[in-house]
Amino acid sequence: MTNIIEVDNLTKRYGKVSAVDGASFALEEGGIHGLLGRNGAGKTTVMQLLTGQDFATSGTIRLFGQSPVENADVLSRVCFIKESQAYPDGFKGKHVLKSAPWFFRNWDSDFAHALAADFGAPLDRPMKKMSRGQRSTIGVIVGLASRADLTFFDEPYAGLDAVARHRFYDHLLTDYAEHPRTVVMSTHLIDEAANLLQRVLVIDNGKLVIDADADELRSSATTLAGRAADIDAFVAGREVLDRSRLGGLATVTVAGLSEADRRAAASAGLEASTVSLQELIVSRTGGAHIPEENVA
Amino acid sequence: MTAIANTAAAPTAPAALQRIGNVVRLHVANPLPTLVVPWVITFIIFGLNIAIELIVVKAAGGLQNLDPDAFQYNGGISWIAIFMMITAVQAMNLTFRFALGFSVTRRDFYLGSSLYFVCLSLLYGTGITVMAGIERMTDGWGMNAAFFAPWGLVDQPLMSVWGIFVMTLLLFFFLGAAVATVWVRWKAYGMYAFFLGLAVLLVGAAWLITTSNSWGIVWGYLTDHSPVQVAAATLPVTLLCAGAGFLFLRRATPRA
Repeated sequence: MTNIIEVDNLTKRYGKVSAVDGASFALEEGGIHGLLGRNGAGKTTVMQLLTGQDFATSGTIRLFGQSPVENADVLSRVCFIKESQAYPDGFKGKHVLKSAPWFFRNWDSDFAHALAADFGAPLDRPMKKMSRGQRSTIGVIVGLASRADLTFFDEPYAGLDAVARHRFYDHLLTDYAEHPRTVVMSTHLIDEAANLLQRVLVIDNGKLVIDADADELRSSATTLAGRAADIDAFVAGREVLDRSRLGGLATVTVAGLSEADRRAAASAGLEASTVSLQELIVSRTGGAHIPEENVA
Repeated sequence: MTAIANTAAAPTAPAALQRIGNVVRLHVANPLPTLVVPWVITFIIFGLNIAIELIVVKAAGGLQNLDPDAFQYNGGISWIAIFMMITAVQAMNLTFRFALGFSVTRRDFYLGSSLYFVCLSLLYGTGITVMAGIERMTDGWGMNAAFFAPWGLVDQPLMSVWGIFVMTLLLFFFLGAAVATVWVRWKAYGMYAFFLGLAVLLVGAAWLITTSNSWGIVWGYLTDHSPVQVAAATLPVTLLCAGAGFLFLRRATPRA
C-alpha cells in the first residue's frame, strides 16, 4: 500500500501565530479518517495546505507522491468541501451541480441528483439565500458525487440536523463500499462519526497530538468503576487520565490495560468499560492536565 | 484495496487547454449575469434615451429646430465598460474562491478567466458595432441620434469603432482583474496601498506635465491621433494589468 498523503514537518505561521506547528503524518490509500481537534486547533489550515489553497511556511506535503500546490494532476483527483466555500454571484444550487463534472472526472450526475432529492436540497435557490444547513447539503452532495480519489470534508454538516447527518453517514458508507477511496473528515461530533473512522489524527494548538488507529485508540484507555478503596489500590502506579469520586464509589480512566490487568481488575470487583473516542480526545486536548504522549 | 492502488496509476489531469476551457464554461454556467443582463440593461438605457430624444423633438416642434448634432453627445454606452470591470472584480473574488474549491489551479483559473474576458470584449465590441451600423443606416434612428457610436466616434469607420470598443473593454476587464487580485491577495491594506499609490502617480504626472509646460503636448497627442490610435495606446496598460493580476493571483489564498 502506498501513502496517499505524506506530510513532513509542516508549519504554517500567520505573523507570530503558528496555525500548524511541525506536523508530520502519513495516510495510506483507502479508508475514512478523522482530523479532529478543538476550534482553532488548525484543522482547516491543514486541509487548506493539503489542497494547495494555502501555502506552507515550511515543511513538505506530498499527495499521490507530488506537491499539491498549483498541480493540476494532483488537484484533479482531490475534492475539498468546506463550510466557508464561496460561490459565484448569482449561482444557484443547480449551477453548482452543473459545473461539477467539468472539474471532478469521476462525477456521477445521477448520484448527485438522487442525493439532492434525498436531502431535499433546494437546487433552484441562489446559494446566497440558502441557510447554513442548505449550503452544507450542497457541499455534502458535491463531496460524495465527485467520488474523488481523495476527498476532504471540513465540518461537512454544519447546520444539518441529526436526521440529515445520519443520512450523510449512510450515503458515505454505502458509496464508499461501492467506490473505495480515501476520505478525510474533520468534525466536532466525534462520537457520532467515531464508528466511521479508521484512523484518527488529532491536532491541538497546531501540533499533532494523536495519530492512531481508531480501534487501538479506543482500547488504549479503560474506565473502571467500583469502590473507592479498591480503585485506589488498583490504580496505584498507573497512568490515570481521569478520576471522579462520589461518596465511597469512584471511577477512573486509566491508560493501557493489558488482558491480565483487565482480569485483575475484574477479580478486584471493578467494572471495566471502554472509553469513547470523544472522552479520550477531550482528555488529551485540554480536558485534563495530563502530559501529552504519543499513543501510536 | 488493490482496486484503489490501480486508480492511483492514472494520475494525469485533462490537457491544459481543456482545463482552461472548463474555467470558461464555469463563467457561463449561469449565463444571466454576463451574457443576458448587460444586453437587457443596454437596451433599456437605449430605449430611455430614444424616448427622451423623442420628447425633445416634440417639444422643439420638429427635428428641423434642433442642431444637427443635438443627440450625438451621448455617453450612455460607456456604462458597459464599468459593468465589465465589475464583472472582472466578481470573477477574481467570488468565482476564484469557488474555482479553488473545485480543485482548479490558480494558473488555469486566471488563464481561463482571461480568455473569457477576451471573448466577452469581442462579443460586446462586435454587438455594439453592429448596433452602430444600424444606427448609421437609419440616420441615427431617424433623428441624427448617436447612442452606440456617439460623439468622437460618429465620423469613425465602423472597423475603428469596433477596435475602440474591444480595446476599451479589454482595458476595463484587466483593470478590474488587477484591482480585484490586489484585494484577494492583500485585502483592505492592499486596497489602501493601491489607490494611494495610484493617486500619487496621477498627481505626480499632473505635476510633471504642469511644471514642464507639457499640457500642449498631451492635448496635441490626443488631437493628432485618431481615437483608434489612442485606444491602441492603452494596450500596454491592459497587458501590464493582465500580467500584474496573474502574478498577484498566483500566490493568493481564498480566505473568506
